[in-house]
Amino acid sequence: MLKKRIGSFGIILIIALIFIFLPFVYNNQSFLFNMMLYIALAEGLNIIYGFTGYLPFGYVGFFGAGAYSASLAILFLHFPPLLSIFIGGAGAFLVGIILMPLLKLSGAYFAIANLAASQALYYIVANPNLESITHGPYGISLASIYNPHASYYTMLAVLVLSMIIVLFIRTSNFGLSLLAIKEDHITASLAGVNVAKARAIAWGLSAFVAGLSGACFAWYVSVFYPGTVFSLNISVIVIVFALFGGIGTIAGPLVGALILYSFYNFIGISAPEYFQLLYGILIIVLVLFLPDGITSILQKRKIYVP
Amino acid sequence: MLNVEGLVKKFGNFRALDGADISVKEGKILGLAGPNGSGKTTFINVVSGVYKPNGGKIFFNGKSIYKLEPHTIVHLGLNRTFQVPKPLSGLTVEQNVKVAAVYGSKEGNVKDKINSALNSVELDNVKHKEASSLTSAQQKLLGLARALATNPKMLLIDEIAAGLNQHELKRIADMLIKLNKFGITMIVVEHLMSFLDILTDDVVVMNAGVNLFRGSIKEASMNEEVVEVFLGR
Repeated sequence: MLKKRIGSFGIILIIALIFIFLPFVYNNQSFLFNMMLYIALAEGLNIIYGFTGYLPFGYVGFFGAGAYSASLAILFLHFPPLLSIFIGGAGAFLVGIILMPLLKLSGAYFAIANLAASQALYYIVANPNLESITHGPYGISLASIYNPHASYYTMLAVLVLSMIIVLFIRTSNFGLSLLAIKEDHITASLAGVNVAKARAIAWGLSAFVAGLSGACFAWYVSVFYPGTVFSLNISVIVIVFALFGGIGTIAGPLVGALILYSFYNFIGISAPEYFQLLYGILIIVLVLFLPDGITSILQKRKIYVP
Repeated sequence: MLNVEGLVKKFGNFRALDGADISVKEGKILGLAGPNGSGKTTFINVVSGVYKPNGGKIFFNGKSIYKLEPHTIVHLGLNRTFQVPKPLSGLTVEQNVKVAAVYGSKEGNVKDKINSALNSVELDNVKHKEASSLTSAQQKLLGLARALATNPKMLLIDEIAAGLNQHELKRIADMLIKLNKFGITMIVVEHLMSFLDILTDDVVVMNAGVNLFRGSIKEASMNEEVVEVFLGR
């Protein structure tokens, strides 16, 4: 177990060093920021989907809640950005607590209910009657605190935190209990696991990571609309990234996001006419031949994937 | 040790349990027999917390466990096995037992509990295998090992002998007797009277959700009502 933890820490350290130094040699900081953002979100989604089997189609709801919680803390309470990022995570966590009853559902019912909840949040935030609080459909401007450099490294810290959380879950007894719940919640319960509590912790951690990420995004872009941070595309992209790499590991969502976001960025910009086609083919090939993601190639050969 | 009075479980209008009264003294093995649909497995599901009852009383060691969650009942020292094995398929045999050793009871060292449970059911030689790769008989034993790792005072064993050959039956009967000698009280649900006969001379026969008869297997075989229920005459 210790070896596995050290190996996983090694990966986290390498990723951190890459994103610390890459801006000095590669000047497309926006690409690097978004890459970190999607890795962190894929890892956050991995906490709830990879370890408990709940597929949150409305995961973006936590992202949006984080972006708005942090922004409102900056605009109304004049909190400093770093504290506001934490408020973003706490705001999403609070939304997670409110949505906790959804965990009583399972499978497609959970996915659809979660999707509906994220859209309900979107319509609440975008409601013109709440303009004095959320700025309604007109969006938020944080131009006064715009600082792409600081927000970039804060996002890096959130990325590292998200990976450490997954590392802890992957290598702890708590993670084992979550996997047991994923396999069969009745058997897990009869093994003494408090299923409701374990699921709630995973759900809260997953929401917290998405909230922190949303808050960093808000700070980084400084101007955004409800449709930007509650876009269902974000949920879909993050789910595809996590599935592409393979869930239940640290490396899977990381590899998935690295490959697919790079692919999206390079092909999608240079040859947008072919992008959707190639992207679709890639996903079809994945579903047909590697339903458990790229990292499953190693796992099938009994090679440990961190 | 376990006192169940007037237990009722309804599925819609169907009363799977219709006022069952069953009690077991500490250190004993009680056989629970009855035809298909008589409510034996429902009884275990309700007592272990998997199903919520609709009426009655359930006391374990003097404490009401009525409508408690399964994990809470496990922590009190009551656990069960399943007729159809429910292994945590994606985990190894050792991990299956480890979950129970960590979360099932705070008493004892986790490693010791894992080794002891696997040793008791003779699965220590396959502990690194995935649970899904085990035979059906081994998966039943794994269920038993998982229950043992929670340090139970009492076990509800649901048709562990179903589908096993004579050699495996004898082996499992010996295991259960050994566990009972270590102090674990049991209710053993079983179709095979010959299997129950090895374990105990105290049998409850259920029919239509109530207990019909209690006594030895020999007495049961001479009881007209029991014979009628089993043979459908």
